[in-house]
Amino acid sequence: MMISKTLLEEVLGRAMSSGADFAELFAENTRSNSVFMIDGKVDSITDHTISGVGIRAFLGVRCVSASTIDLTREGLLRCASQVADVIADNPTALDIHLTERCFGDVHPIQIVPDTAKKSIKIDLLKAGYFAAKNYHEDITQVTARLLDTDHKILVANSDGLLTTDRQIRTRMAISAVASKNGENQSGFSGPGRRMGLELFDMIAPESIGTEAARSAIVNLNAGYCPAGKMTVAIENGFGGVIFHEACGHSLEATAVAKGMSQMAGKLGQKIANEKVTAIDDGTIPNAWGSFNIDDEGNPSRRKVLIENGILKSYMIDKLNGRRMEMEANGSSRRQSYEFDPTSRMSNTYIAAGNDKNEDIIASIEYGLYAKNMGGGSVNPINGAFNFAVSEGYMIRNGKICEPVRGASLIGTGSEILQNIDMVGTDMKTGQGMCGSSSGTIPTDVGQPLIRVKEITVGGR
Amino acid sequence: MEKFDLLKQRIKDSSETRGITEYELYYSEDSSISAETYRDEISAFSSSVGGLLLYRCIVDGKIGYASTEALDEAEMDALVARAAVNAVCIEKDEKAIIFGGASPDAYQKVPQIEFAMPTAAIIKKEAMKCRDLMYAKDSMIADGTECGAFAGQSVVRLFNSNGLDLGISAGNCGEYLQAVLDNGEEKQYEYDYLYNQFGDNEAQLQELTDTILAGAHAKFGAGKVSTGKYNVIFDHKQMKAILSTFLPAFFAENAQKGLSLLKGKVGETIAADCITITDNPFYEKNPMQIPFDGEGVPTKKKNVVENGVLKTLLYNLTSAEKDGVETTGNASRSAASIGTRVYSFYINPGELTRDALFEKAGNGIYITEMKGFHAGADAITGDFSIESAGFMIENGKIGAPVKSFTVAGNFFALLKQITAIDNVLEMKAPGFTQIGAPDVLVPDMSIAGE
Repeated sequence: MMISKTLLEEVLGRAMSSGADFAELFAENTRSNSVFMIDGKVDSITDHTISGVGIRAFLGVRCVSASTIDLTREGLLRCASQVADVIADNPTALDIHLTERCFGDVHPIQIVPDTAKKSIKIDLLKAGYFAAKNYHEDITQVTARLLDTDHKILVANSDGLLTTDRQIRTRMAISAVASKNGENQSGFSGPGRRMGLELFDMIAPESIGTEAARSAIVNLNAGYCPAGKMTVAIENGFGGVIFHEACGHSLEATAVAKGMSQMAGKLGQKIANEKVTAIDDGTIPNAWGSFNIDDEGNPSRRKVLIENGILKSYMIDKLNGRRMEMEANGSSRRQSYEFDPTSRMSNTYIAAGNDKNEDIIASIEYGLYAKNMGGGSVNPINGAFNFAVSEGYMIRNGKICEPVRGASLIGTGSEILQNIDMVGTDMKTGQGMCGSSSGTIPTDVGQPLIRVKEITVGGR
Repeated sequence: MEKFDLLKQRIKDSSETRGITEYELYYSEDSSISAETYRDEISAFSSSVGGLLLYRCIVDGKIGYASTEALDEAEMDALVARAAVNAVCIEKDEKAIIFGGASPDAYQKVPQIEFAMPTAAIIKKEAMKCRDLMYAKDSMIADGTECGAFAGQSVVRLFNSNGLDLGISAGNCGEYLQAVLDNGEEKQYEYDYLYNQFGDNEAQLQELTDTILAGAHAKFGAGKVSTGKYNVIFDHKQMKAILSTFLPAFFAENAQKGLSLLKGKVGETIAADCITITDNPFYEKNPMQIPFDGEGVPTKKKNVVENGVLKTLLYNLTSAEKDGVETTGNASRSAASIGTRVYSFYINPGELTRDALFEKAGNGIYITEMKGFHAGADAITGDFSIESAGFMIENGKIGAPVKSFTVAGNFFALLKQITAIDNVLEMKAPGFTQIGAPDVLVPDMSIAGE
């Protein structure tokens, strides 16, 4: 990203030249790699460089944006002029002086994946692939992907801020299909971190393949889940996806500022069971959804969203902050320079409580233990959700019994928040890619084992 | 084009220095600009200049890919080096192919329309013009009504070591209008696009606004339908959505992977007599025509289905090699692979007027809205079950609005069940790819209502 400070100042001045009250430039250079295996062989390698600039200008709560891959002086000035031409019509000459700030880096990287030999990555991937393939004779197909990105960003704005960050992430994702008597069931495992290849010293690739295959085999031998209202225990890790989708998104200023959220206007009110404390924390070292600075250049923060059931804060970006008359809090994210940033989650989880796991299971006379969750959908306006349980077991008389497949959890965000009445002690996260108006970004979801006293289980 | 030629030279030099004799460079450049209104002002504006260089080369019989948006000469060396490393890592058994070339005559001439990107001021003015038309015409107009204007331009260049050096550029612009009406009890909406030249388009916009508003008004007070079997007319937008959903079944690469029920069906009847489906890179009403595919192979117009008989699947060089046939020139190009694509892909219109088609239906349901294809349709089996809305058909005429019912069926069965189609083919989304169909009549469709 060889854009000089002088040129940045000139470009921001141009963006402000028609009378905007704020302008920002976001520059990016990202190396993105992925190796894909199927049928026991390396099938394809994606090796891509993303490079470009996005410019925004504000006038009150109006925002205009433009992006370009042309990083020459002429290209950048043309991009800034587009923005200036639309945002206002009040010629102004401004002298912008940028002062550089360094926020530091709390995410040490030992092996930068983009610089590692391809053969090392392929060996790691094969270890995971064949652990899945050889797990059981009923495993008929495996696909495996090793992804890594090296995302360098620069943010400069008309308030004089100039800052940079480098975000390196690594992930291995394995899917296994188990087949018997003409029936297929699948299993998935996909851990990732804001780390380099040293991730696989912490999480062995073999364990990733084994987990995907184990889950597929469990489902292959499971009967169908009965339907009805029941008490459900949702396991830690990716189980947190329900909180993320059904509650987290309605705490983003994107939804709150326009009154599109069930949580708008409820700060200080009790919106959840007192057992529930929920946090969004972009500062956790080496966590998948962490960053040193957000995509507006603000340091990332730890935000208590819900404390003992009381709504404490939202995730806020600069533009929506203006609409809500609240300050931005390090929550602005964008997939790339081509997207406008907005308020998004980072690592969002229900904090550990003090119920013991064994007490939670023992308290359920008849219900479902959702060991792992799959995908789902949420209606953002009323919070109605429907999520697939990717690995589930019946609970009878306080004991985990036989596996069941085809279960889904159906409810609304506000209802499930009230119904979480036991919260375990062992918080764990799971990795996801979250899609919204500012693109697809890495986020962690998480929770300890929780008990939902009543929820509709879809099955047959 | 000067910039591309500089980059091309660097790629050439770098490849040759490394002893790489077979390689290909695919370059695309896209610019776009758009504005959108909310209430009485411009609520969103964006403009983008994007571009992409995709390089691939053959090393030791394997093909490796690398790509970049950083279009500076210094990056070109690294691009070639990365693709070469990636090539030797590939293990799949598939013949590595870079197109050997064709005579210049093999590429059909396409109209080269000089397209100038409109300025931000023009885009703004155009969007506000639509907004004003919409608000002036109807007192029930409510928040959620949005009007927009947009323009886009694309350049594609393809160069390879076998002497190929191709290029195309094209652009289009238009308006988007969405009306939300509120009668105090419920809200209804309708939207449509118009593609044209900006400026002298008042009459067209007036007509479109009238159609949209009439469409939204007609939806008020929709009732329920009883569960049962009905004669159904899918309007052209819904038939287009159905055809788009099951399009991958026509790709040979999917048939080869066991992911298409059309596998082995070439020469067999797969649809009603009245169905002819054409893939046409030179559809005359499309300003974005393209004479070469993602591998540089000349494109051609062909009937995929002719009077109900499947004539061919769609091929790129690799899938054609596997089946021992000629490619149909339908290769798509992405960062790490060659896939399959279509151009203007449509069901040809028939003889009947729209009135005659309704006459033929007699009584039934006219389906004008279907939601949730991503969840309610299985692209492999062809099964679909989709939440829909539309109008009753009573004695050959459009009757009362109906909503909240599900239409279920199977795409491959539906193709055979069609008894008639009308004579209007409307394709309103010019891009290098567009899909279209007339209104079609299908008897005995399963409808789940009350």
